[in-house]
Amino acid sequence: MEKLKDALDFRDFSRAEQVGFTIFSIFLLLFPWLGAGSFVKAVMIQFLLFSLFGMGWNTVGGYGGQVELGKAQYVGIGAYTVALTMVWWKIPFWVSMPMGILLAVGYSFMIGYPLFRLKGHYFAIATIATSLVLQDIFANWKLVGAAKGIELPIHDHPDFLYMQFKSDTYYYYFIMVLFYVAIFYMNWFRRSKLGYQLRMIKDDEDAAESLGIDTRWCKIKAYSIASAFVAVGGGFMAVYNLYIDPVSVMDLDLSIKIALMAMLGGAGSLWGPTIGAAFLVPLDRFLGSWLGGHGGLIGLDFMIYAMLIMVVSAYQPRGIWGIIEQFRRKGS
Amino acid sequence: MAFLEISNIVKNFGGLVANNNVSFQIEQGEIIGLIGPNGAGKTTLFNCIVGYYKPDSGKVIFKEKDITGLRPFDTNRAGIGRTFQVMTVTTGMSVIENVMVGAFCRTDDRHTAQSEASEVLNFLGLESVKEYHLNELPIAMQRKVGLARTLATKPELLMLDEVASGLNRTETDELVLLLRRLNAEKGVTLILIEHIMEMVMSVSHRVIVLDYGEKIAEGLPGEIVKNEDVIKAYLGEKYAKSH
Ligand SMILES: Nc1ncnc2c1ncn2[C@@H]1O[C@H](COP(=O)(O)OP(=O)(O)O)[C@@H](O)[C@H]1O
Ligand SMILES: [Mg+2]
Repeated sequence: MEKLKDALDFRDFSRAEQVGFTIFSIFLLLFPWLGAGSFVKAVMIQFLLFSLFGMGWNTVGGYGGQVELGKAQYVGIGAYTVALTMVWWKIPFWVSMPMGILLAVGYSFMIGYPLFRLKGHYFAIATIATSLVLQDIFANWKLVGAAKGIELPIHDHPDFLYMQFKSDTYYYYFIMVLFYVAIFYMNWFRRSKLGYQLRMIKDDEDAAESLGIDTRWCKIKAYSIASAFVAVGGGFMAVYNLYIDPVSVMDLDLSIKIALMAMLGGAGSLWGPTIGAAFLVPLDRFLGSWLGGHGGLIGLDFMIYAMLIMVVSAYQPRGIWGIIEQFRRKGS
Repeated sequence: MAFLEISNIVKNFGGLVANNNVSFQIEQGEIIGLIGPNGAGKTTLFNCIVGYYKPDSGKVIFKEKDITGLRPFDTNRAGIGRTFQVMTVTTGMSVIENVMVGAFCRTDDRHTAQSEASEVLNFLGLESVKEYHLNELPIAMQRKVGLARTLATKPELLMLDEVASGLNRTETDELVLLLRRLNAEKGVTLILIEHIMEMVMSVSHRVIVLDYGEKIAEGLPGEIVKNEDVIKAYLGEKYAKSH
């Protein structure tokens, strides 16, 4: 109860933030009725999905400062769990999704345990490696469709149990609800014991240990929370796209985008991942369609992202939101 | 059984013996000064006690429990708080948030942590800077915040690594008063590392002296200032400095 109250309590934000968030929420609610075309709708869905991913990443990556570049493996676990159980056993989304979360959390504890023996760059590289290994396994594993991937059976009628709808609007509202669950959760999280402890770990790990914080265990907990968030998004991707393969749900590209959006928007702030997604998802879509017509420029998007990562980490590690806060601190 | 018992602690860094067979005992409620010239091994000894370093050999017994080699968070939960000689200057959290992290060591509730943090800040006279970030404060004040957040973990044994350095005369006197109050009112046992003799001599019930990693003396402040070996250790340092 207390937690729910904290989750819904935005009073410690500035007036401007409260107003901004309210206007943004009204916009989100009304968006499907504003007459946007299917391309824009798809971009909006993508935006909310990546905001969700980014908020998950933000727990361990933003608040905890552990730059993690392997979130795609959890997108994959969520997506494959939903897709495979549906294809094999006709298990409804509402059952398979929690299964996906459980698997992701279980797996995250398993690899989080050795992973968080590492620090800094070693840690970042190891997260990439674990994700690549899992992707490789799935790309060669016949039972799960190998590199060809899996198509989900398409139902003739809209089916809430299996989350199949004719109109994107339903998917839009579904991902919007997930987005708000994430926002409220993170609003509680940022003021929770774990949230404070992670921030201390990010600031000064030795000091954190001296204050009774089991730093490794805290990171593992946050990592598994992040993994749960991301697995939910993966499950959504499966029912929304109706087709998944190791590239679409487990690629390094995806991991990097998730981290980059949160970092660009503002690692360790509530709004950061959403702001980052608002910039990068449209850019990504634009680059994607533009580069599609210019075969010779494949890979340019990656270079742009790599440069963004370098610029953000060199000049403003706390991203766009960090810049805004800096101005505010100076002003007051 | 002593409150804290350290026996035969040895810690090497490569060929350098930073702690050589150091042993002593402390009773609950004491204020102990740990002194010695720069590089004598004082900070290393702290690190061996609270678990940042694993001693090569020797034992640390705290409240009849062998805590040798436990990780720092475990020794903290067991009741040992320590501050750092060099505070990492951080930008991510305000002063009160820093102290709340300390308070979270003993509670899961945010509101409890917040009110306990405020209490500690009041006790240390830091309430006026509670919204500042560490990088916005002078170094002496940063160290005080370090003390505040450690205090918030409610240690029974508090180990302070040169908290007084950088303080002027009045600030040092205030700190001495505060430490005495902490000891008298809250029953906290204290070990102070200080480089400055005068301050340690005035607060400590007992003084332990390290030089080149070895314990060269232990006794009442009055005895220590007259001790030949101690005088030599300190004179030696002054001599080295002037050349
Ligand atoms: N992590 C370390 N690695 C190598 N040498 C160290 C390390 N920490 C301390 N030393 C050395 O150990 C000796 C004792 O250092 P220290 O305990 O910091 O002394 P004090 O705190 O008494 O000034 C010094 O010579 C120092 O250079
Ligand atoms: Mg020292």
